[in-house]
Amino acid sequence: MLAPRQMSRLLIAGTKEQMGAVIAELYRHRLFHIEDFVGQEEYAGFKLGMPLAGATEASNDLITIRAATNAFGVQTDGAPHGRPVSGSELRRQLQTELPELDAQADELVTRRTRLETRAKDLESRSAELEPFAALPIDLDLYRGYESIAVLAGHLPTDVAITAQHEKAFFGDKKGGFIAVFTPIADREAVERQLLDAGFSAVRIPDETGPAADAIARYRAEQASSEKEVEGINRQLGNLKEIHASFLLAADELLTTDVERAEAPLRFAVTDLAFVAEGWAPTSEVPEITAALERVTQGRIHVEELAIDYDHDAVPVEYNNPSFSHPTELLMDVYSRPNYREVDPTLLVSIVFPVFFGIILGDVGYGLILLALSFLLRKYLAGEAGKLLLDNLRNASISSTIFGLIYSEIFGFALPWKPLVFSRHLNIGGEAHGHGPDAASMLIIAIWIGILHITLGRLISVVNHSRMDHGRHRIQAVIAQLGWLAFMWGLLIVIWSMFPIPFMPNLGAVGGPIVLGLNLAGVLGAVMILLGVVAVGQENALELVELPTVVSHVLSYARLVAVGLSSVAIAMVVNYIALGMFINPALENLTPVGIVLILVGIVVLLLGHTLNTALGILGGGLHSIRLHYVEFFTKFYKGGGKKYNPFGMKRLYTTEE
Amino acid sequence: MVDPVSASTVLTPEMITASQAGLKAVGAGLAVGLTGVGTGLAEMCIGTAAVGATAENRDMFGLALIFTVIPETIVIFGLVVALLLLF
Repeated sequence: MLAPRQMSRLLIAGTKEQMGAVIAELYRHRLFHIEDFVGQEEYAGFKLGMPLAGATEASNDLITIRAATNAFGVQTDGAPHGRPVSGSELRRQLQTELPELDAQADELVTRRTRLETRAKDLESRSAELEPFAALPIDLDLYRGYESIAVLAGHLPTDVAITAQHEKAFFGDKKGGFIAVFTPIADREAVERQLLDAGFSAVRIPDETGPAADAIARYRAEQASSEKEVEGINRQLGNLKEIHASFLLAADELLTTDVERAEAPLRFAVTDLAFVAEGWAPTSEVPEITAALERVTQGRIHVEELAIDYDHDAVPVEYNNPSFSHPTELLMDVYSRPNYREVDPTLLVSIVFPVFFGIILGDVGYGLILLALSFLLRKYLAGEAGKLLLDNLRNASISSTIFGLIYSEIFGFALPWKPLVFSRHLNIGGEAHGHGPDAASMLIIAIWIGILHITLGRLISVVNHSRMDHGRHRIQAVIAQLGWLAFMWGLLIVIWSMFPIPFMPNLGAVGGPIVLGLNLAGVLGAVMILLGVVAVGQENALELVELPTVVSHVLSYARLVAVGLSSVAIAMVVNYIALGMFINPALENLTPVGIVLILVGIVVLLLGHTLNTALGILGGGLHSIRLHYVEFFTKFYKGGGKKYNPFGMKRLYTTEE
Repeated sequence: MVDPVSASTVLTPEMITASQAGLKAVGAGLAVGLTGVGTGLAEMCIGTAAVGATAENRDMFGLALIFTVIPETIVIFGLVVALLLLF
């Protein structure tokens, strides 16, 4: 909790004969994050390992399998199709079935490509002939003259040609088509006149007989090609039905083969021995060690190395209660935590839904979003989609709870008074009581900001004292405390000067001492001064950032402001739909009134759909922004490397 | 010349209250509207650059989002001022 899973740096050394068994065992456990060998200094005399026997064959087979998978259009959605098959059985099947399957897929795809090319060719030919069909001239009459030139092409409107000629023109709204027969001597003059009128020539097709007949012939041929393509697609579809699970399982099996066979490429080897370095969760080290000793009959050396945090990039695996798992997605969008800093995932997983609820506190919208978070599961496949919807689920539950507290459902009031603060606006004279407690809520939002930012700075103190060294550590910790002193000093000065509801009133603490400041005011001013000095001693440039203390705290006012605007939209929609269309029409029901009621219902549905979408954006984006910009900038470094253990989660196959 | 008696009858206290409320509403509208324009202008450049950066490198998304929403605070301040004016 609040820290990533503890990792140990392991060194595994053994003789080359053991390498295969060790790799297989590590792969099976899926715990060892391999640190690639890149020719480090301490490994003088070692070189990169060579792939195990069978790597090339497995890679080739894998390429074949993937080609067939593509040809059949098999989707790898990460969901197992029925029972996993055993690896050894699948291997036998691969020997017999793969060549045949490959040939089948190859033949079908080649034939399909040929037919598709043919259909395209035929289509372009009939398109070429199309304009000639409008002219009453057989296609063989356009060719074969010695003294006559033939010009054919598109022309917007018919044109009078002065030179000696015969012509045929067909025109409609979309433009015209002209064929001109002229003695070769006059060709240039005719061409110039045509070009002036906007003529664009086309090639005369190499065909005989009426153009319409040729077009019909080509069209028929094209249709039969397309039908054949359809047939092939159906065949491929059938093959997909039959072979999909085999292909997916074979893909998985061969991928594991290739990954295992190529693992030595990441190891350091000599002629007789190999050394692998990497990471494993500390709690699992005894299990890995025992397993490796078992498969090698004790002829293996596993050693835990000291971690040098300045040079080693320790892989980071989240270590959170299951409740916080969805939030890890939001963390990874920003950056995975560094191994040694406080992992704020747990805090975010609690505070994010609360912020969402404060902004979008409405029972109606909350329940709609809750339903959406379950209904969308079908369409958003994959791990990330699932986590995103889990986040939406948590947020919408919080939204519903806050809706009960605010007494709001689609902008209407629930049968009880708001438990804490009222967000009911006076729109259309519907509201009761004294209107929204905007000012009080804004002050509470500011309080949330003050506390959230203080928490961020305190975490930063912990981080700096953990991760920095020597003089810089002390400087950094003092600077962080300086930021806190500056913020709270400013608050105390304000409290000593202005009485603010829900905040301490320090105006009565002693009389004025200097510059109209009372005792509390002077204390606050001293804190501000100390804060400035503390921040400046670490880095004078940071002083430029001091005003952000004010803007970041005030930024939390959005929790109320965005929420109130969402309530306002809901109430305006209700007022337009009910107050202006439906209610007046219901009082005196006429045919026009029924139309008005329908319009009102449409406005109601559209308005609330829009507001739900805005609610997700407003609630989600603003809540996460408060974390990313206002909270994380105080302490969070990130940049941790993802823990990516050697091995694969098997979905379609079982161990051999 | 304005007759002081008739001027006072023209400008009743109710009218003064009403015009004050009206000006408040205008002020609230200006606060939201102008800050909205400001935010829009600021986010325009950041947003285009952010989309470009994300298109080149998917990992930039988180950072790009942060940069894009920084000017959002301006319009939130406008919204807060408007709410304080109205209620």
